[in-house]
Amino acid sequence: MRSNAAVKTTAEATDDGAAARAMAPTVRAPRRRFRLGAVGTVGVLLIVMLSSAGGLAPWIAPYDPDETVGDPFEPPSSRHWLGTNDVGRDILSELIYGIRISMTVGFLAAAVSIAIGTLVGIVAGYFSGWVDMLLMRLVDIVLVIPFLPLMILLAAYLGPSFWNIILVIGFLVWARPARVLRAQVLSLRSLDYVDAARALGASSARVLRRHILPGVLSLSLAQFILAASGAILIEASLSFLGLGDPTAKSWGSTLYYAQVRSAFLSGAWKWWVVPPGVLITAAVLGFAFTGYALEEALNPRLQR
Amino acid sequence: MLRFLAGKGVQYALVLLFAITLNFLLPRMMPGSPLVFLVGEDIGFMPAAQRAQIMREFGLDQALWRQYLIYLGNLAQGDLGFSYQQGRPIAEIILNRLPWTLLLVGLSLLLATLIGVTWGLLAAWRRGTSVDLGSLGVAMFFESTPSFWLGMIFIAVFAAGFGWFPIFGAQTIGVPLSGAAWVVDRLRHLALPMATLTLITIPGMFMIMRYAMLAVLDEQYVTTARSKGVAERRVIYGHAMRNALLPVATVFMLNLGTVVSGATVIETVFSYPGIGRLLFEAVLARDYPVIQATFFIVTVSVIGMNIIADLLYPIIDPRVRHAR
Repeated sequence: MRSNAAVKTTAEATDDGAAARAMAPTVRAPRRRFRLGAVGTVGVLLIVMLSSAGGLAPWIAPYDPDETVGDPFEPPSSRHWLGTNDVGRDILSELIYGIRISMTVGFLAAAVSIAIGTLVGIVAGYFSGWVDMLLMRLVDIVLVIPFLPLMILLAAYLGPSFWNIILVIGFLVWARPARVLRAQVLSLRSLDYVDAARALGASSARVLRRHILPGVLSLSLAQFILAASGAILIEASLSFLGLGDPTAKSWGSTLYYAQVRSAFLSGAWKWWVVPPGVLITAAVLGFAFTGYALEEALNPRLQR
Repeated sequence: MLRFLAGKGVQYALVLLFAITLNFLLPRMMPGSPLVFLVGEDIGFMPAAQRAQIMREFGLDQALWRQYLIYLGNLAQGDLGFSYQQGRPIAEIILNRLPWTLLLVGLSLLLATLIGVTWGLLAAWRRGTSVDLGSLGVAMFFESTPSFWLGMIFIAVFAAGFGWFPIFGAQTIGVPLSGAAWVVDRLRHLALPMATLTLITIPGMFMIMRYAMLAVLDEQYVTTARSKGVAERRVIYGHAMRNALLPVATVFMLNLGTVVSGATVIETVFSYPGIGRLLFEAVLARDYPVIQATFFIVTVSVIGMNIIADLLYPIIDPRVRHAR
């Protein structure tokens, strides 16, 4: 019974808020579905902070990350806040520039996967029948394959490069979004205005473009952000295994070199291992928080 | 029930076919001679006669479909290829490594499921309280942490720092041990990798159990049970939990691939001599046949675990058992 009581309190609180807004006639009540809540706000803040630090990297990073600016393995000092790495480069600068690589890979890989996922989800959900069956079979297959070994295999063959990493991640993580979006399309398809459009003789292409696509775009956005969070984590794993782009060091690559040089056996792990991991966690958490909050606000199946 | 298993069987057969075909096509579709990938980069130093013999062995001078048949035939006989770098059949290398991974993944999965399910149950029961929200926060944090990083921190603190655990490997090398000391030695090596893999697996289990439990607690039969005065404990364990466990079992299967992937990275950090570490070593050495065979074996293992789970599923869900 305890749980019911808790729910009632939350509901009452929301009602109070709505009442307060209604009583202020000049202020229009914000559309409820776009409220992110505390979790979402924290997520957005994390993303904004990290991306602005990445954007301002040339101005806020103390050194050029590809320049030898000190002795190897220097501990933190006033000149190098996080010390230097095995070749005497400034770790702090490397991490600030790393934001660009990690977040760009995450974004682009997520874009690839959501483009595929949305297409598959819409086509499967809208046309149903054997098309749906075939595509969902494909989704099931992709979900069973152990994705990291497959990515390692592909990355090893294709060679470590910026675009290869993006494509490999993008082509392997579209299955979950496809499934979520298909469910949304299924519920949209049975709505009256879609039936009406079809009855008026609109072509499939037109119905899809004008009526179905707008209905799933917001959910696609939530899925995109969740995919970006996953992609950042996968990129870190691949780079950590030495499969990242050697010319563009991401947070995962920094950890790869720390591992290869056994940083965890000396005191160096405190400034060489901890900071990149905290950054990865912050970025992944930022996207995950935002994505979950958006999904909860937008996905009718999660609303009660 | 039969239809359910047959459908699953087709799915796994297709996954297997995909893995095999990909492994077959990759070295043959890449630019340059497939020999570079099948044998290794020092193929240039190999005498021409030996090179020709390997060409014949793989049937590389024949049509693609005949090569495919040869490939399938070898695979069916348990021939996973030959590592020219290590000079040993790959099946032998993998058989040496597989038990370690099975031990690590098996124990971690078991532990993570027990902890995650119990934790999710408690959180859902206390829905909306600080216990529930705090648990969600902790779970999301660990879900967002890179597993290899967690492992590195564990080594730095508990192995290198406090010296409680060994820093790498699965056993002490060069010291003959027997009896209890042998077991303790293996367990001490297993502790940190297992703790890492368990910690990153728990959040997934927790989230599923919590959501499933929340959904079940809203069902009318739970309300009915409560209103007729069934003790709260019995409502939770007898009515709600048993039904909430069903989706957990489904997602458990979907998660297997993720857990195995996690093991790949964690074994690398701890130099734990399993399949994942083998994959990493093969990537470093550009030993393509080993990379491929490892991917194949991991896929087969995941399918195997899925089949076991599918066979167990009717036992926990009588509705599947009685459906046509």
